[in-house]
Amino acid sequence: MAIKSQLHGVGLGLKRELIPQIQSLYGQQQLANISFLEIAPENWINVGGKYAKQLDWFVERYPIVCHGLCLSLGGISPLNVDFLQQVKTFLHQYSIPVYTEHLSYCTDGFKGEQGYLYDLLPIPFTEEAVHYVAQRIRQTQDILGQRIGVENASAYVAAPVSELSELDFINAVIAEADCLLHLDINNIYVNSVNFGFDPHQFLRGIPGERIIYTHMAGHYQQTPSLLVDTHGENVIDPVWALLEDAYQLFGTFPTLLERDNNIPPLNVLMHEINKIADYQHKAERSFTAARQSAKTLG
Amino acid sequence: MVAELPSFQRYQLAFTARLRDSRNAPPLAGVPRERMAVYEEIVFNNLFESVSACFPIASKVIGKRKWLKLNQAFMRDYSANSPLFRRIPEQFLQYLNNPSPELQQLIPDYLNSLCHYEWIELLVSSIPETNPQGIQPNGDLAINRPVFSPTMQLLNYDYAVHKITPRKKPQHKASTQLLVYRNADDTVKFIELNAVTHRLISLLLNEAIAGEQALTLLAKELQHPQPESIIQFGLTILEDLKNQGVIIGTH
Repeated sequence: MAIKSQLHGVGLGLKRELIPQIQSLYGQQQLANISFLEIAPENWINVGGKYAKQLDWFVERYPIVCHGLCLSLGGISPLNVDFLQQVKTFLHQYSIPVYTEHLSYCTDGFKGEQGYLYDLLPIPFTEEAVHYVAQRIRQTQDILGQRIGVENASAYVAAPVSELSELDFINAVIAEADCLLHLDINNIYVNSVNFGFDPHQFLRGIPGERIIYTHMAGHYQQTPSLLVDTHGENVIDPVWALLEDAYQLFGTFPTLLERDNNIPPLNVLMHEINKIADYQHKAERSFTAARQSAKTLG
Repeated sequence: MVAELPSFQRYQLAFTARLRDSRNAPPLAGVPRERMAVYEEIVFNNLFESVSACFPIASKVIGKRKWLKLNQAFMRDYSANSPLFRRIPEQFLQYLNNPSPELQQLIPDYLNSLCHYEWIELLVSSIPETNPQGIQPNGDLAINRPVFSPTMQLLNYDYAVHKITPRKKPQHKASTQLLVYRNADDTVKFIELNAVTHRLISLLLNEAIAGEQALTLLAKELQHPQPESIIQFGLTILEDLKNQGVIIGTH
């Protein structure tokens, strides 16, 4: 999976509010741990004017990954092939090697159109849904001529029609579609609280070798048993512990901080970026130490 | 037809029906209401914020309650067909032009023009660059065809949309011509035109003729006794548009 090697370290989701701050602090030591940036193609396809110039500026300076929101892999309306062609052109135009999407849907085919609802809705975990979604991922990969990563989505409602666990659903889709996994650590935690499972156990069931990169984020606690994936708060300790566990299980992988709401100044966000970098270094050191002691023993 | 769908898709349709119209669509069997309410709220709030951000004046002019109702109806009745977030307001405009009958009374006559005017800024700020080929940046505007900025929008409204504020709603129609474009610094600029200048620019755009030809036509249309004065005056206007970056050269 050559794609993974093009990314490393820590990334940050590029929100408009952060653009002037990154531009003015670019090259300074305090931003040294930002190794790549993530954008949503839905925000940047076919833009002109100052937006096009901003994009050019970032593409020249940072590796960029695309993380889509509206492909609607689980949607009932036909896959939007025109849009996918636009994504393809966009990826080529800016030499962006990575495109990931959510294991969710955002369309309902209302009135015979796509019917975009512009949010990430939970796919029921059924056998039929596995085949349906996997086929659409394959179609996407065929059109793009590259593998995509799919992200485990957060959810608040469990569909009574579901036949599989979330973990079995994800594994079945990924295996059938032969795609990569864009692992969202916070979403594992959010769902573990919302649906009552052990997030560390969940981690042990995912195909670690398919991880392309991971997301870290904060969430909002609406009640002790209901977390909402707002990306508007700091990352909490149990989510940090999950990241650490994931690094120990699978080795380190590129990890990106998402902050979409209630965005603090960049120098404050850098605390969390730097913390991810620290976790990565720590995990790499213990990984190397473990290998050396294995050699000594051998 | 719905009955032929796999169970997961039947469930999805019941789910999204509830998001579109939580008051009237039946609740989902076996789904806790407070959990479903999370989706009902976030999906609507996202859409509402995307729409409202584009229409700061219109939303205030018609008032919170009516604005909310319009957006709820948009959520319920409109099938959005673009995955691009910045096109949400444009789709709202399309909805306003063809709303459900019971909403007609919520929509004052001037609202569509006002919303269009507010949306134009978003459009012009983000229209992709096109670089027209073979342009003479310093060509003579009188004897050549002036070429306008590809971002330029020539607008004609029945109301003085640019003067509307929440405290100053239009009492009567007032034919209003505006020109909106993005300058070399990527700033969106608005110019109020008089009817004659609007007509001149329309002629240049539609007829693809040189500056002086367009002005001669215009003088005829106006039945002006001294066409020469129209031509002289018109050329200074074209020069002025050139200096502002509305005209980018000649063909």
